[in-house]
Amino acid sequence: MSRTATYHTTVRWKGGHRGHLVMGNGPEYEFSAPSDAHGCAGVFTPEDAYVAAANTCVMMMFLWAAERFKLKLLSYECRTEGTKLVERDRTELLTRLHFRPKIRVAAGGEPSPVVEARVRRALQSAQKYSLVANSVKSEIVVDPKIVVEEC
Amino acid sequence: MPEFLEATIDKFIFRVAADRRYSRDGVWVQECGGDGQVRLGASDYVQQRSGDAAFVHVKPAGTRLASGDEFAEMETIKATVGLVSPVAGEIVEVNKDLDLSPENVNQDPYGKGWMAVVQAAELRDCPDFRAAGHQPKVGRGLSPSDRARLLDPAAYLSAVRAQAEEEIGAS
Repeated sequence: MSRTATYHTTVRWKGGHRGHLVMGNGPEYEFSAPSDAHGCAGVFTPEDAYVAAANTCVMMMFLWAAERFKLKLLSYECRTEGTKLVERDRTELLTRLHFRPKIRVAAGGEPSPVVEARVRRALQSAQKYSLVANSVKSEIVVDPKIVVEEC
Repeated sequence: MPEFLEATIDKFIFRVAADRRYSRDGVWVQECGGDGQVRLGASDYVQQRSGDAAFVHVKPAGTRLASGDEFAEMETIKATVGLVSPVAGEIVEVNKDLDLSPENVNQDPYGKGWMAVVQAAELRDCPDFRAAGHQPKVGRGLSPSDRARLLDPAAYLSAVRAQAEEEIGAS
């Protein structure tokens, strides 16, 4: 059951250290490098895009997993941090993506520990089946904070 | 701990426990105890293809099955998969641990991931078997027709390899 699909973006130089990005799914952004890397403040950057790609993909996969695991999701918020390593030869890589999701679910009449265990399994599956998380070579660390509300 | 046969296809390793038989659909059947009881579960190939299990619903004890009846359903993160019993009989025990730990089907498909014990009807009810003076013994849970229909581990491994390679070729 191996299949392929393709996705695309287009970038165009706008002068200086700026560019214009057109996403395959529609939106367009101005972008630059981060200001600590000779870029411009206030616009999209590749570093943010990388972290955002993983963060958004894991969230979308979690939403799907929450449905499949029959969770009554109340809220989901996740700050994700990417750690950059500058090597001795001055090459750079993002070695680690640290996810800190805050998840609230309703117990829905089930014991809280049972629901919490299911949230954790859904989160593990979300990471496993996330296209982007599954594609990157950065170490992925997930520290969830899960609240099961008796409602 | 059973011994395993393995097929490596692409980046995937599929294991086949050597101490039981298999339907073509990947339901394993292991004789357990005396008097024609068999244990059923899903093969490693089936669990890998199905995805992480969210819920495993096994029909309750007392359910009578004809060969070909669905005895369990796995709801995974990707799909809902029905599992068909290759033997006729009556479910006499269900793995209740799967209610809270359905991941056992993925993590230990040939051990903790077992699903049901079935009192195989054919052996218990087979007049010829009784008339011939045979007494059910440990390891004698499958009737001759069951045995003929089910694949031995090597044959099932070949079937897995063929199916997986066909899928790769079709992609």
